[in-house]
Amino acid sequence: MKSRLKRGLGGLALGSLTMTCAIALSAPAIAADGPTSQDILNDAQSTGDVLSYGMGPWAQRFSPMTQLNSDNVKGLVPVFASSLGGEKQRGQESQPIVYDGTIYVTGSYSRVFAFDSRTGEKKWEYDARLPDGIMPCCDVVNRGAAIHGDKIIFATLDAHLIALNRHTGKVIWNKTIADYQAGYSATAAPMIVKDMVIYGNSGGEFGIVGRAEARDVNTGELIWSRPTVEGNMGTLHGQDNGITGKLNATWPGDMWKTGGGATWLGGTYDPGTNLIYMGTGNPGPWNSNMRPGDNLYTASTLAIDPDTGTIKWHYQTTPHDGWDFDGVNEFIPFDATINGKPMKLGAKADRNGYFFVLDRTNGKFVSANKFVMQTTWANGYNPKTGRPNFIDDNRPGAPNGAEKGKSVFASPSFLGGKNWMPMAYSQATGLFYIPSNDWGMDIWNEPITYKKGAAYLGAEFTIKPIAPDHIGALRAMDPTTGKIVWEYKNKAPLWGGVLTTAGNLVFTGTPEGYLKAFDARTGQELWKFQTGSGVVGSPITWEQDGEQYVAVMSGWGGAVPLWGGEVAKTFKEISQGGSLWVFKLPKH
Amino acid sequence: MSDILSRRALLGGALALGGASLLPARVAAAPLAKVREIGALRIAVYADNRPWSWDDHGTVRGIDADLGRALATKLGVRADVVAFMPGDDLGADFRNTVWRGGLLGFQVCDVMLHVPFDHDLMMKNDQVAIVAPYYREGFAMVCGNEQSDCEILPPQLHGRRLAAETASVSDAYLVGGFGGLLRSNVHHYQGGYEAAEAVAKGDADAALATRAQVESVLHDYPGKDLHRRKGPIPAMVSPGWDIAMAVKDNSRTLGDALETIVADMIRSGEMASLFGGHGVEWHAAIAA
Repeated sequence: MKSRLKRGLGGLALGSLTMTCAIALSAPAIAADGPTSQDILNDAQSTGDVLSYGMGPWAQRFSPMTQLNSDNVKGLVPVFASSLGGEKQRGQESQPIVYDGTIYVTGSYSRVFAFDSRTGEKKWEYDARLPDGIMPCCDVVNRGAAIHGDKIIFATLDAHLIALNRHTGKVIWNKTIADYQAGYSATAAPMIVKDMVIYGNSGGEFGIVGRAEARDVNTGELIWSRPTVEGNMGTLHGQDNGITGKLNATWPGDMWKTGGGATWLGGTYDPGTNLIYMGTGNPGPWNSNMRPGDNLYTASTLAIDPDTGTIKWHYQTTPHDGWDFDGVNEFIPFDATINGKPMKLGAKADRNGYFFVLDRTNGKFVSANKFVMQTTWANGYNPKTGRPNFIDDNRPGAPNGAEKGKSVFASPSFLGGKNWMPMAYSQATGLFYIPSNDWGMDIWNEPITYKKGAAYLGAEFTIKPIAPDHIGALRAMDPTTGKIVWEYKNKAPLWGGVLTTAGNLVFTGTPEGYLKAFDARTGQELWKFQTGSGVVGSPITWEQDGEQYVAVMSGWGGAVPLWGGEVAKTFKEISQGGSLWVFKLPKH
Repeated sequence: MSDILSRRALLGGALALGGASLLPARVAAAPLAKVREIGALRIAVYADNRPWSWDDHGTVRGIDADLGRALATKLGVRADVVAFMPGDDLGADFRNTVWRGGLLGFQVCDVMLHVPFDHDLMMKNDQVAIVAPYYREGFAMVCGNEQSDCEILPPQLHGRRLAAETASVSDAYLVGGFGGLLRSNVHHYQGGYEAAEAVAKGDADAALATRAQVESVLHDYPGKDLHRRKGPIPAMVSPGWDIAMAVKDNSRTLGDALETIVADMIRSGEMASLFGGHGVEWHAAIAA
């Protein structure tokens, strides 16, 4: 009170003081105004909103709603389309968030938009100011935001994490999570667990180490940081918290300091085991002959304790990777009965072409089955060890002196049997729906490639289709048998996420511009709508005013158009774009 | 030179004209007349690439920065030296700095320096012309106090602290060569200059880096007891390479002017003294 009286002596100061007080008084109300961590845990059950990337902490992308179903989906029509505007029409890989009459969506170039969920009118837009010196390797995408209380939180291409006021779009906090000048970036949607923001990092091929991190959702302050490569030190509340793995167990020399393992796709969370599951990227350098050993924990799924940031278990999908088979893909918890025994499981469709089922309580291998046409690098997995049966002849050879190393044909290509685009799991059919691609590559290690004007070692590759009629294939996988139940083939590569509902429906988008709906049991195509540009985002559904809505982002881009060759022929006519499309059944 | 000129003559017309018409005028690279009209030459150099180009408290310094300024002076225009972050390969660098620009607003430059004069690179990157080779790069080894004999066979360095830039050919040589004998002795650095500097600072016993990186460290640490290997580096896969510059394929007039300027600088001894200012002995490019 004293300081208030003192400051009150000056007229101008009084004015600003009054404003300060007003904000201070209303602050608690605003903080309570919005979803809590508990609400977010219930996201999969609450049909009136979409509060998390993946529609629930398990990220099953499953809705229990049945109003829209395989009998009536053919009547689905657009309600509105909202443009992101401007010239930044490319690479809309985002999944919308829906809360309290507002759709929040991130756009390419690190933008966030709030649209009225009934009319499509724009409420606000936030454009992160990016340094013009950043040149992202793989397009300018963003995959979505998180919501908590009064905040919308998202990551930027220059490796910042930003919390915006969800009513106004104004910045609440803005934290640097890594140094973009050292090659770090961020494109994944953050996740909320126990009032913490959990996120990973992304970066170029050389010189970085992946990390999973947690920050206080209210302040943005770092709580813990966990490097993904053995030998690197983790932190908890600013103190050392033990190194990851065991120094030099699976890496020679000091190569673990720059070993890769970027966590560029974020993670999922299982409240039952209290574990965060996060995938890690490929090891560096590309030439695997340089780094003998398994190179832990690259190309793996890590189970991390959210309270301490320590690793509880790991499973490495591609030990000693030599093909750029990132292990970043989402690990989706689900429960099923295997050999008569009810189990707590998780599944992951990997870049390397195998669909993994693990015991999510301890990471124990249950099964690995092919979900693509061919895997030339391995012939299945050994069920006893959980390790791949490598086909040694199909590992790119080491360069011999000035001669390039042996070229091999590898399938999947380095873009993966499945890339970033998230699959879905239906609790109604017990099937996973995997957006996959059938393609291969010639890959070889070069003794010399030029980078930064100097001589480096490197790998060269040419991507090629392996089937005459398609690259993309949406596949329904039975996780208990490893069998493909149905597949839908698409000419161009699939690059968008999947949604499934208890109404016997599966939705996904195509680069050709369609949002399509399929019968979840048979794979029969039931409905499609042309959005005007390629669909590489992830669809959602929710209930509003008693009706079931579906929404998806449209806007071609992502890594695929940056790669040329024969594959490019399948999408060269596709126009860029940037719109949010919303659909529902007409009212009778 | 003749084959690159004829290649440009063949490809230049159709391809470059088609591309240029799609670009707004303000981002199109200025060929010679336009550079003169605007009064500035925009020069792309690598960020963090000592001794060629690095940021020194807001000023870009280095051999390439000096060369860029000299080129502009001789064209009678202002030099606008821009340091950029390298992409995953040179194709990305050409796209970002020479013919398209960065997706996030980085404007194209008139010329990019420090480009290997390499046939495959030219074939793969039709959108640029690689011209005016100005240096012959190679490899060098430097040893410090603890390893005063720098002429020994590399396998004899087993157990010593060795330094190299991550994923460079020097790294591959030390980590991959001799059956992997030296693999666990190699300490990795962000750049070759930093690797050689580790020897000067006593953090490593020997470093393998490029000739320019080693020579500039010897120059920058005059009081240290550093030994540069005199003999060849056995079984090194790379015979060295020429360093040149890239202009957009439709900027032939500018490319020709730069070739003339570089030739004049070499003839007059100005190029050698420009390199000498950074402690680097100038070597003529083989293609020049």
